[in-house]
Amino acid sequence: MVSYREVKPGGKPFKRAYVAVMLWFVGRAVQAAARVDRAVAREFDDLPDSFTFCLGVEPRGPFMVVGKSKKGRVKYLGWNPAGKEIDLAMRIQNMEAAILLFTFQENNALSACRNRITVDGDIPAACAMMRVIDIVEVYLLPKMIARLAIKRYPSWSFRRKYLGRIRIYFRSVLGY
Amino acid sequence: MFLPNEYEFSCFVKINSGTRALEHLPHELDALNARKPLIVAGKDVSKEGHVRKLMSAFRDSGMTIGVCDDISGPFDAPLIEAITNLYRNKDHDSIVAVGSGSIVDVAKVLNVSVSYGGRTLRELAGKNGIPNPLDPFIFVPTAGGDGYETSRYAEIEDMKFSSDFLMPDLVVIDPRMVTSRDTRIIVATAMTALAHAVEAYTSPAKNHITDIYAHAAIKYVAEYLIPVVRHPADRDGSCALANAACMAGCVVSDMTMGMAHILGETIGAMFGITPGICMGIVLPYTVAHRALHFGARTADLILPLAGFDDCAKISPSLSDAVAVTMMIDLQHELNGQTHGGIPRTLEEADVPPYMLQDIAERCITDDLPGYTYSDYLTVVKQAWEGSPAMNG
Amino acid sequence: MHLPGYYEFSARVKVVSGHRVLEKIPAELRKLGASKPFIVTDNGVSSAGLLEIVTDSIRSGVTIGAVADDIPQDSDVCIINDLAGIFRERGCDSLIALGGGSVIDTAKGINIVISENTYDLMKFSGAGRLKRALKPLIAVPTTAGTGSETTMVAVIADHERQRKMLFVSYFLVPDVAVLDSRMTLSLPPAMTAATAMDALCHAVEAYTCLAKNPMSDICALEAIELISRNLLHVVNNPGDKDGRLALANAATLAGMAFSNSMVGMVHALGHSVGSVCGVPHGMAMSVLLPYGLEYNMHKVSHFIAELLFPLAGSEIFARTPKHLRAERVVTIIRKLNQDLHDATGGRHARFFGEVLDRHGAHMVEKEKIPDIARTALGDGALFYNPEDLDYDDMLMVMEGAWEGVPLKRNLIKSG
Repeated sequence: MVSYREVKPGGKPFKRAYVAVMLWFVGRAVQAAARVDRAVAREFDDLPDSFTFCLGVEPRGPFMVVGKSKKGRVKYLGWNPAGKEIDLAMRIQNMEAAILLFTFQENNALSACRNRITVDGDIPAACAMMRVIDIVEVYLLPKMIARLAIKRYPSWSFRRKYLGRIRIYFRSVLGY
Repeated sequence: MFLPNEYEFSCFVKINSGTRALEHLPHELDALNARKPLIVAGKDVSKEGHVRKLMSAFRDSGMTIGVCDDISGPFDAPLIEAITNLYRNKDHDSIVAVGSGSIVDVAKVLNVSVSYGGRTLRELAGKNGIPNPLDPFIFVPTAGGDGYETSRYAEIEDMKFSSDFLMPDLVVIDPRMVTSRDTRIIVATAMTALAHAVEAYTSPAKNHITDIYAHAAIKYVAEYLIPVVRHPADRDGSCALANAACMAGCVVSDMTMGMAHILGETIGAMFGITPGICMGIVLPYTVAHRALHFGARTADLILPLAGFDDCAKISPSLSDAVAVTMMIDLQHELNGQTHGGIPRTLEEADVPPYMLQDIAERCITDDLPGYTYSDYLTVVKQAWEGSPAMNG
Repeated sequence: MHLPGYYEFSARVKVVSGHRVLEKIPAELRKLGASKPFIVTDNGVSSAGLLEIVTDSIRSGVTIGAVADDIPQDSDVCIINDLAGIFRERGCDSLIALGGGSVIDTAKGINIVISENTYDLMKFSGAGRLKRALKPLIAVPTTAGTGSETTMVAVIADHERQRKMLFVSYFLVPDVAVLDSRMTLSLPPAMTAATAMDALCHAVEAYTCLAKNPMSDICALEAIELISRNLLHVVNNPGDKDGRLALANAATLAGMAFSNSMVGMVHALGHSVGSVCGVPHGMAMSVLLPYGLEYNMHKVSHFIAELLFPLAGSEIFARTPKHLRAERVVTIIRKLNQDLHDATGGRHARFFGEVLDRHGAHMVEKEKIPDIARTALGDGALFYNPEDLDYDDMLMVMEGAWEGVPLKRNLIKSG
């Protein structure tokens, strides 16, 4: 009389792959920016040593982990948070939210407003990481797109913006 | 500003509305401590692919879901029993209803049935017959509806249930689900919401919080109905109207159901017209009548109907009349946009003039004391002719 | 109407409001299946005689399990664990939180400890860790400001580990908020002014910040209208019961607005002024509100302009040309602060330079401003502010708010 079926919905492999690549690149770019940009370095200086930050998509990833070593050096620590002690986790609630974020249809702030990102951990550290990601976005993205991603596009010197951009791209690709 | 001396009000309904709202479902279910939802949908809805869209929102979530998506009438107690058994045997812990109208009644009563093992539905029916919270219940509206989906009421066979716990915990309004091509359905749903909201907003039983919901519903309809009728594919507008239906449902109660509601349902049943369309026709006339004879707070309607700028320009002494005129204007605009498809008067709706007394007689009900035969007759006559009662 | 691409709204708390509604608490408890409440409150509330009013009003209907009337302002995990012990010992089955934000948060904390039967409250911090309904909690606000009776969050300090943890869950929303005019009737004028301005800030920021949505907008508008129509009158006539009830309703409505739409830079700076210098929250809010509006003006002047309607009424709204409305809103709020300053005999501060402690010393010393600015950079409310703020921006705003001079609009960076 009533039909019933049980469904285990599948995955979204293509979107997943895209987000994984973006997260990988953002992670390496944060590491690079911490070495190239003084403002980013300062933000990390204020955080405790061996601070670990994780950004990723709930519930099954992908993730990216960035951390400070005991000596205070910022390093991209790969895609897997398992087994690491995470101090601050920013979780994107679902894959579609991640796609909206990484295709720049929604910026960080809007995504947080719409309950698509939740923060687990110390709030001041989360604010610092948001600022770091904003700066990284200014480096990585052309002005037209970066303006969608952040609230206020900064007026940087030519040197900081363009030389910095080249150095960060190089370091991110090469991973040092 | 109206200040009630004493009131109590609660609305458990949370609203998630807009782009990719469906994809928030797994997370929301988790927050309500639900692991294995049962999706309940009518045959018509699943044919349109809505259930498929809903299921794809669960991708990558790792959740297992049960689907009952070809439910068709009769919506009766044996049906509820059959689904209840499925729900229990398959260890479900929450209900997601997709659709509108009677399928939502099924889902609500199902929720009662799965939560109260030992007792029959008939024992639980009636006013406030359900003392404790039920399982998490999520409602995903599609186009259309009877205006009761988010209310505290449900009806199966001749059993009427009424409890705050019947209201959905969450309503998910996603633009992919709520657009419709049928302007008549769009108008009927929106006008039902408008009628319910206007009656709640002008009711003596109103309070600050019912005002919030009613204000929102009126504003959504006033601003988005015409654009959506013009371009039915308008996603933002369709979402806004679905919001209006949801908000109006939240404040529908015995206290706030007024003349327009009763007339609309009665005329609709007598002549086979969608009740929402009838409510739309009679609404301005009931509002004018109640302003004149019952001291209803019609002037308050200007702000949600017209917005800040126009509201500020209207002299307070005229606001009653302007509110009524604005609602009549809305009818004319709808009629024009649909090339006469939406009637403006009962005459255009093919209600025979010799039936008006009959209508008025059947409207008298204990649910709305104080309104007499002559009140109803005056209003139906005005609504038939299209000339409202105005002060002076 | 501003219709955002996506929004969420919920206001799950049941509101019971009136001049004599404390008497309804026993019935509400019974509906929730409880009969032996644990009343928590603070010193100020009980010495003002409010605890007695509550116990007298409910005594005939329920057995009062226990009363804790000494919750400190900076309550923390230890206190919560102690109180939970009393709750268990006395066999209570529900909580009544009588007071402001910290009492209600403490009650929420006790509720978690009891309902989850745990000793480690911190295990449940963060979003969505609570998975079950908690014990019934009835909130009776006594300040008409914080709006905590509507929120699904609790902030609880852990002094040993020197951190503040955030708890977020549907299950933290109180079951019932009882707004009784008797609870705020004895609030002194300066406190009335500060707490109502706190509520006004909630509403204004909810309306002008990034997470605004149509529902929270309407809550905010109604709250603003209630406050602007009643605040001065109540400050001048503290015995005005209807006015008191209107302000209590406004605070609850503003709470519904901001708990859905969040708040922005005024709160970021206000929290920091509070934590660095100990300025009462409401006072910091009322000083900072006009500055926050000025700072965000270039991004959201159209939203600010709309606030003229509930603040000043339809006539002034209609008479003010469109492009001047937003400025007018800031002027009106400054004027409201001035009027409150006059009405309270100078106790309501207009700028930080005149916020004095009991001994007549400056509470906000000028040298502390850099500290305040740095602390504010770590406040979560910044996410929701329409415009970005860096350290220099914070300094600029704080210096303006210290001196009491409007911000120079050409110095505000936009990009």
